This record gives sequence, C-alpha cells and structure tokens, in this order.
Amino acid sequence: MEISTIITMVLVLGIVWGGLAFFLVRAIKYEKVKFKNGKE
Amino acid sequence: MKQQEFFSSRWALIIATIGIAVGTGNIWRFSRIVAQNGGGSFLIPWVIFLLIWSVPLIIAEFAIGKSTRMGPVGAMAKTAGRKFGWMGAFIVFVSTAIMFYYSVVTGWCLRYFFSSVSGNLFKVDDYHVYWNNFANGYEPLLFHFIAISFVAFVVLRGVTKGIETVTKFLVPSLLIILFILFVRAITLPNAIEGIKYFFTPDINVILDHKVWLNALTQNAWDTGAGWGLILVYAVYMKKKEDIPLNAALIGFGNNAISIIAGITIFSTVFALSSVDAMTQVSQSGPANTGLTFIYLPLLFSKMTGNDTINLFFASIFFLALFFAAFTSLISMIELSTRTMIDFGLKRKRAVGIIVVIGFLLGFPSALNLKVLANQDWVWGVGLILSGAFIAFAVKQYGIDKFRTELINGYGSDIKIGKWYNYIIGILIPIQVVVLILWWLISSVSWDPEWWNPLHVENAGTAIFQWAIVLVFFIVFNKYIVAKTLNNNLD
Repeated sequence: MEISTIITMVLVLGIVWGGLAFFLVRAIKYEKVKFKNGKE
Repeated sequence: MKQQEFFSSRWALIIATIGIAVGTGNIWRFSRIVAQNGGGSFLIPWVIFLLIWSVPLIIAEFAIGKSTRMGPVGAMAKTAGRKFGWMGAFIVFVSTAIMFYYSVVTGWCLRYFFSSVSGNLFKVDDYHVYWNNFANGYEPLLFHFIAISFVAFVVLRGVTKGIETVTKFLVPSLLIILFILFVRAITLPNAIEGIKYFFTPDINVILDHKVWLNALTQNAWDTGAGWGLILVYAVYMKKKEDIPLNAALIGFGNNAISIIAGITIFSTVFALSSVDAMTQVSQSGPANTGLTFIYLPLLFSKMTGNDTINLFFASIFFLALFFAAFTSLISMIELSTRTMIDFGLKRKRAVGIIVVIGFLLGFPSALNLKVLANQDWVWGVGLILSGAFIAFAVKQYGIDKFRTELINGYGSDIKIGKWYNYIIGILIPIQVVVLILWWLISSVSWDPEWWNPLHVENAGTAIFQWAIVLVFFIVFNKYIVAKTLNNNLD
C-alpha cells in the first residue's frame, strides 16, 4: 500500500471515526453526570 | 398549542435523527460519487465539508426547532421574521417533493428484498432486463403504496409510540446488518484492491473543482442538513437536551456509516467483478439505479459457491437499504405532518392527507424513471436553497445572539465558539452561491436547450419549478404565516 493511501486512510478514519468516538465518549460522560445529579 | 410529545431520552433523539441522515444516499449514492470522483481524492474535501456545511447546519436546525417548537413555516417566521415564512414553506415543499419519489425508491428496496428472500433474484439471466421489466411495469406502484402505508402507520402513532419505537429497532438493526456485510466484504479475496482505491488520493484530481463541488453536494445530500427534517425532530427534544454535541454525533455518525458502506461496496465490487470494477461502481444506469439494482445482485450471486449463503447476503443488503430508506421516509412524512398540525389539523387527519397526496403524486415517478430523475434533479439541487434559507434565518436572528442564547443556552453540554459565526455568516453563503451556480452552469453545457423546462435535467426545469413554488408561497406568505402562528399561541 502506498504511503499516500495510508496517510489518507489515517486522516479520514481519524477525523470521522475518531471524531465520532470523541463526541460519543463525551455524550456518555455528560449523561452519566446528569443521571448522578438526578436530572433523569 | 402546548407541546405534548418528546423523545424519551438523548439516545432516542440521536437514534431517530441518525435514521433521518442515514438513507440510500449513504449506501448507493456515496459509493457511486466516490468512484466518479477519484476515490481517495474525494474523501478529503468530503470530510472538510462535513465540518463547514453539515455540522453547522445541523446545529442551526436543532436550535431553531428546539427554540420555536414549530415546523419550518412557523420556525422561519419566528426566527427570521414573519416576512420570511415562505422560506419555511419552501423547505417543507422541497422535502415533501422528495418524499413523493423517495417512497417509490423505498418500495424498490422492499421489492428486491422480497426477490432475494424468495430466491427469484438469482434465477435471472440478465439483471438489466430484470430491472427494466420491474421498473417499467406496475409493480413499483404496489411497493410505493406498501412503503408509504407502513410509514403512515408509524407516523400516525406519534413521536414516542411511533417514530421512537420503530427507529429504536430499525437503526440498530441497520447498523448490525451493515457490519455483517462489511466483515464479509473485507474478507473476500482481492477486497484489498477496493480498499486501496477507496483511500488512494490523486493530487491532480484533488485540485479539480468538480470533486470539491461533488463533495459538498454529497454532504448536503446524505447528512440531511438543511432539509428541515432535523428541525422537526428537534421540536420534540426536551428543553434540557444538548444541541452541539448531539449535532456533532449525527454528522460524524452519518459519515462514519458512509465510510463503512463505501468500503463494503468497493471491496465487494473489486473482489467479485470480472470486468472493470470501476466502470461498474461509477456507472449510473437509469435514474442512478445501475450499481444497486443491476450490478450488485449479479455480484451477490457470485459471492460464494453456495447460493443459499449468497441469497442471505443479498437479502440482508436489500433489507439494510430498505431500513435506511424507511427511517428517512418517516422523517419526511413527519415534516409534512408537523407543518399541517401547526396549520391547525389533528395528527390523524394530517397524516391521512399527506399519505394520499404522497401516494398520488408518487405515481408519475413510480411509472416513469424520467420523471423520477427530473424530480431528483430539481429538488435535489433545491435542497441547497433550503440550507441557504436556514443559514439566512440564523443571520436574521443575529448569529452571535443565536449562538449564545439558542445553541449555548440551557441544556448545552459543550459551548460553541465564535468560529460558528464565520461559518454561518460567510462560508455557508459562499458555498451556496458557488454550488448553485456550478450546477446550473454545468446543466447549460450538457443541454443546448438549457432553458427548456420540459427536459429531464437542465437549468430551465429547475428554475421553472422552483419559481412556481416560490411565487406561490411568497404571494400567500401573509396567510400561511398568520394561520400557522395563530394556531400556536400559548
């Protein structure tokens, strides 16, 4: 596999899947905090 | 009128909204557009436009829906001013016009699912003839009726009992099916060639303006940003719910699913295609149906030496496609329904009217692929105008005030910075102007009679149909806005 392919793969997967994982973890964290505070 | 229904939790809202965003555009349109635009070269601008088109507009739709608690007509009148209610009506019309033929497409997916399950799909000698016989007969009408009736049943039950319950089952099921197909595809011999093509950039292609414009169009298409659909689901989000984080999850989640679908399709085609794989992925076929309804069934029949296993994979593929289309269709019918509820009708009556109209106006697209292609062209490009109107509403409200009060207000888990002002105020208007001009100028170059409104895809037909709708709504703006707002006085 060419280096440019690997870079694109890392970049695209990193931003899209990395971004999704990042926001998902934060959302779960905030939901837990809300649950603890008795907002649910 | 008091708000009576809400999504039960953040996750219910996110799943339902992912159901809007993930449609046939992620599975068949995305792969075709990637193939036509140089594979990996396309992915870079596609990711950039996720950040500067889709996510900002999804945020805006969430904030407008949550703050106004009304469908697009009332929402635009409240956010941009009463003079601009017609913009909301146009947004509703565009998504509703798409619904007319999208129900037909949903029916096709269901029909191919039945053909796969019954085994008939692999008793075919020529898939082109098989598709033409189906598409040119009366069967699409029957499946259009089944699709729109199923959706009517869901929307009739309301947001919590209907939309939430159904999407909670369909969206995770869709993701599981896509994952199974993904694993099967990447483990096929030679699948790596498809993955390589999918991620290999070509610097000459990246510099081509058409690739950037197609990347923007694809983002506008497949995330559901600017359609007014997310705005309507936001009407049913609780006040304590966050906006920016949910919007990011939907935008990134949608594109993550597109990548999975893209890798699956490219791996399958490169592994199983005996002729030029790229030709198969990028060929449009009638109304862009070639890849999905003509070439993929052929490839599924060659997946393994065992026909039962092959039929299983073909069946779950078309089931996934049906689920994806179905959950998007639900949101389109809910959009029209909500608009009519705002207009003073009860949900039951509103759904009844929408479904009858939707069924009847879907007839031409069900019976003639040229009509479907025309409507897809006219209202597909019209979506860019819808996105522009949403950005305009934010500007009219005051972008900074909108950001601090509506987005970063009560319930927000994270705060959006000033970058948002520049994207909505500068970048989105530039993208709209460039995109619409490019589409229209391109259509002039491919049709010498570009002005002729009776042609399938040209500037004339788009401008003519937009003009009729816009003039109508502008003329009746006062009445539409008054009726909508007066029915919703607290």
